[in-house]
Parts: sequence; structure tokens; C-alpha cells
Amino acid sequence: MLAGIDYFIVIAYIVGILLLGYYFKRFVSSSEDYFLGGKSLPFWAIGMSIVVSDIGAMDFVGVSGQAYRYGISVGNFDWIGSVPAMLLAAFIFIPYFWKGGMYTIPEYLGKRYNSSVRTIASLTWIIFFAVDLGVLFWASAVLLNVLMGWPVWVSILITATVVGFYTYFGGITAVVMTDVVQLVIMFVGGLTLVFLALHAVGGWEELVDKISNMGPEYRQHFDLIQPSETKTPFPWTGILFGLTFVMANAYMIGNQAIVQRCLTAKNEWHAKASMIFGSALKMLIPILVLFPGLMAIIIHPGLEDGDRSLPMMIKSTLPPGLIGLMFSAFFAGLMSSVDSLLNSTATLFTKDIYEPYIKKGADDKHYLKVGKITTLVLLIIGILTSPISSKFPGIYVAIQTFLSYFQGPMFAILLLGIFWKRTTQWGGLSGLIIGIAFAIYLNTFKAQFFTIEDPFLYVSWWSFLVGFIVTVMVSFFTSPYSEDRLEGLVYKVTGGKNNNKQ
Amino acid sequence: MLNFDWLSGVSQESAKIVFLALFVLIGILVLFIPNEYAYEGVEKDDRHWWNNLKLWAIGVLAILFLIYYIF
Repeated sequence: MLAGIDYFIVIAYIVGILLLGYYFKRFVSSSEDYFLGGKSLPFWAIGMSIVVSDIGAMDFVGVSGQAYRYGISVGNFDWIGSVPAMLLAAFIFIPYFWKGGMYTIPEYLGKRYNSSVRTIASLTWIIFFAVDLGVLFWASAVLLNVLMGWPVWVSILITATVVGFYTYFGGITAVVMTDVVQLVIMFVGGLTLVFLALHAVGGWEELVDKISNMGPEYRQHFDLIQPSETKTPFPWTGILFGLTFVMANAYMIGNQAIVQRCLTAKNEWHAKASMIFGSALKMLIPILVLFPGLMAIIIHPGLEDGDRSLPMMIKSTLPPGLIGLMFSAFFAGLMSSVDSLLNSTATLFTKDIYEPYIKKGADDKHYLKVGKITTLVLLIIGILTSPISSKFPGIYVAIQTFLSYFQGPMFAILLLGIFWKRTTQWGGLSGLIIGIAFAIYLNTFKAQFFTIEDPFLYVSWWSFLVGFIVTVMVSFFTSPYSEDRLEGLVYKVTGGKNNNKQ
Repeated sequence: MLNFDWLSGVSQESAKIVFLALFVLIGILVLFIPNEYAYEGVEKDDRHWWNNLKLWAIGVLAILFLIYYIF
């Protein structure tokens, strides 16, 4: 339970974030301000925002739980599963999206392929974000229930109210700037827990010795690279093919919530630098989210649900005052993820669905209003869908499972679209649909094809490959667009020209 | 096949070398990026070694290499 000082810190934090977010309302007078921050934000704020948005409840609770069960191999997601992809995004993809004046990734796909591809991609992301919102809400409720005994629905409603308020009024500028504060609080709170817990277990070497000697199932808890025949969800083959080559790139290049931040940059250098700066910060994340799970193995052995390791560590390790700080850090991670999903989904719906299909040619104020209303509607959907995640064994793996359905095929058509001018609209459409169908098929019959516990990494690789091959084959039998039509959309076609544009 | 059984003969040590080699390869590719492209958006007079994004990328990759080398 929290002490009085903890409640004070938490409430002060929530009120402070509310006020800060609301302050940015004054900078929103158009849909470009609401969705792209008026293209005025600096790299450091964007980089911090990318990172903190990516480590919400799922990392604090889910990754600690995975580390408790499987060891440091879950850190692959923040290291090899992020850094190379962020560099590829920074130097190749982001400059094209930024210079093209895009609002959304599906908007690029629509220009490169056709409106069907744009709509499918956009609807897929909207559905995923809605489900993801529910997962994040549920994760917060689990933690708050353990820490404070709050009923699950009370926790969810408090989170939704706070985040909804500043996201509704301040748009992406409020999202990014509150993220900056949230990252600082998250690092301070997270590192405090890690240092105190490390002290409690007797230091790093003692931690390694104790865990390694707990039995054969713990021998590989400190191996980043797991054998291909491991029963954990993280064999090196899956990490390399599924995560590094597909899911990481799909996430950092094709995820609207990530890429939209870079599109708010004040110029091309800031857009690129935000991703690289973000990749540097990303490498620190496993220290915050993974180590508490490892230390819980010593301090709280035998937990049936690994996702409870972080809440238990907070309760047992931190003194009054610091529990409030850590709780604020968790709240920061949660809010930053939720606000990103809200704003990005509002952007996707307004730009890719409402504007082309429901009301073309309306004035800008109208689209600004639609963006704000969508934010509220999504918030309600997220609340209503939150119990779904309780049916999955691990929160983090649940999200990866949702992602693996379409990340591979989406990345396949993005990759071919930007690097191969021969790729046709029908190739892209076929690759996307058949790739997603194949991913669903593999997931449905996974017991027949895979031996590991949760094969989402393999599913993403094979669905990428199928999407890639189908796109190439269909492209060979259909007519490509002219080079004029592809200007600014394909690497070989525009590379030299665009380098001189500001 | 789909389960990557055909790679089960590759040891963890060999797999680690593959990962490390990948980081080196990416680093080499980063070095091939033209300086002009890495500085795009920065005024000519403001271009210094510390805002060369290629160096930022190499620094990040070096840390990543170290993490995988140790663990």
C-alpha cells in the first residue's frame, strides 16, 4: 500500500502532466498542428518521445515478467530488435516520409500503390491500436490492483481520463512534450528501483551466481542468444530472422505511432537525428524493465505469474516516497503509450478514412474537430476492450502476437515499394492480403508447424517472406507506374533529386 | 522447415558471431553514407563533427556490439 507521501507524489505528478499537456492547447489551431506539431519539434524531444512511447505498461510489467521466466534474452527486443531498424529508418525511410509531407504511413502506401492498400493498412493499424489500448489499460490495472488494491475498472478509468484530457486538447505537441517529462521520471524511478534491488541481492555478480545455481532451467538466464531448439519464445533463429529482419523494421518503419513523431521534426536533420538519438536511449531500457524481473527471481522465487514480479519488487524493495516515484514512473510509461496510440489513431482515421471516404474537401477546422472526436471514441473502445488481454498468458507476448499478423507483410510491401520501382499496385495489394492471411493461418495452426512456446517471431518472418514473394511475382505480371508517377516515392527514382531539397 | 530445424546444428557461439558480424556490416554501410546526406538540413557553417549523424550511428552500434560480445 502507498503511504501519504507516495500519494502526494503521484497526485502531484498527474496534476503536473495534466497542466503541462493542457498548456500546449494554445499551439493547436490547425490539423497540421494537431497531427504534426506544425513541423516544429526538435530531435531530442522526438527521440525521447519515441522511446517512452514504446515502453509503456507492456515493458514495465510484461518484460519484467518475461525476464523472470526466461532471463535476459527478452532484452533482444530493445537491443538488436530496435537499434539496427532505427538506423535504417533514420537514413532511408524517414527522410522520404518527411520530405513527402506525409501524415501517415498508409498515406505513403496509398501514393506508392493504391487506395485499397492504404485503406487496408490504415484499418489494420486502427484495429491493432484499439486492441493495444485495451492491453495497456489492463496492464495498468494489474499493477494498481497489486500495489494499491484499487479495483481494476477504477484504475482504467483514471488512466483514460488523465491521458484523454491532454491528448484531446494538445494534440501531438502535448503528447511529445509530456513524453519528455515522462521519460525523465521513468528513468529516475526505474533506476532507483534497480539500484536498491541490486543492493538487496548483493550486487551483480552475486545475482548472476545465485540465479545460475538455482537449477538447469536457469542456466541460460544470462545468455542473450538462446539455442534454436529452446522452448522459450526467443530462439536465436527467431531473434535474427523474425525480430531483427522483420518485426523490428516493421515496427520502427511502419508503425504510425513511432514514425508520426519523426514527421513533426523541424527539418530533415532533426527527423533523422531523432531516430538515432532514440536508439541510444533505447539501449538503456532493458536496465529499467528487465533487471527488476531478474532480481525478483532471488527476492520472490516461485511466482506463478511472472507479470507480478515488478509489482512485488516495488512493494518489497522501495521505501515510502520512492514507491510513489516508481509508481509515477510506471504511470508515465503507461500514459505516454496511451497518448501516442490515441493521437496516431486519430490521425489515421481522419487522414486515411474520413477525409478520402466520408467527407472530401472540408475546411481544415472540420478535420481538426474530427481528429479530436476520434480521440474520445477510441478512448472508449480501449476501455471496453481491455478485458481481452486477460485471456492471454503474457501481456507482452499478447501484443507481439497481434503485431505478428500483419507486421511482416506490411514491411515487405514497404521495403519493395521504396527500393524497387518495378513493384506494382496489384503486387503490393496481393502481397499484403495474402501475407496477412498466411500469418493468421500459421497462428491458427501453430501447434502443427512450430515446437517453441509462442512462435510469433517465426510467424512474422514467414508471413514477410510470403508477402515479399507474392508482391514480386504479381508485379512481374502487372504494369508498373511510370517514373514520373513514382517521383519522391522510390529510392532509385528520386534519390539524387531529393537530396538537394529542403 | 518453418521451425528452423535446419539451423539446429549451429551452436550458440557461432550464432553470436553472426550477430556481431551483422553489427559490423551495418557499421560499414553507415560509413558509406555520403557526408552531405548525413548533414542534410544543417547550414554549411554549422556542420561540425558532433552533428555528423554517421558518427552518432557508429557510436550506437559500438555499444550494441559490446553488449552482445559480453552476453
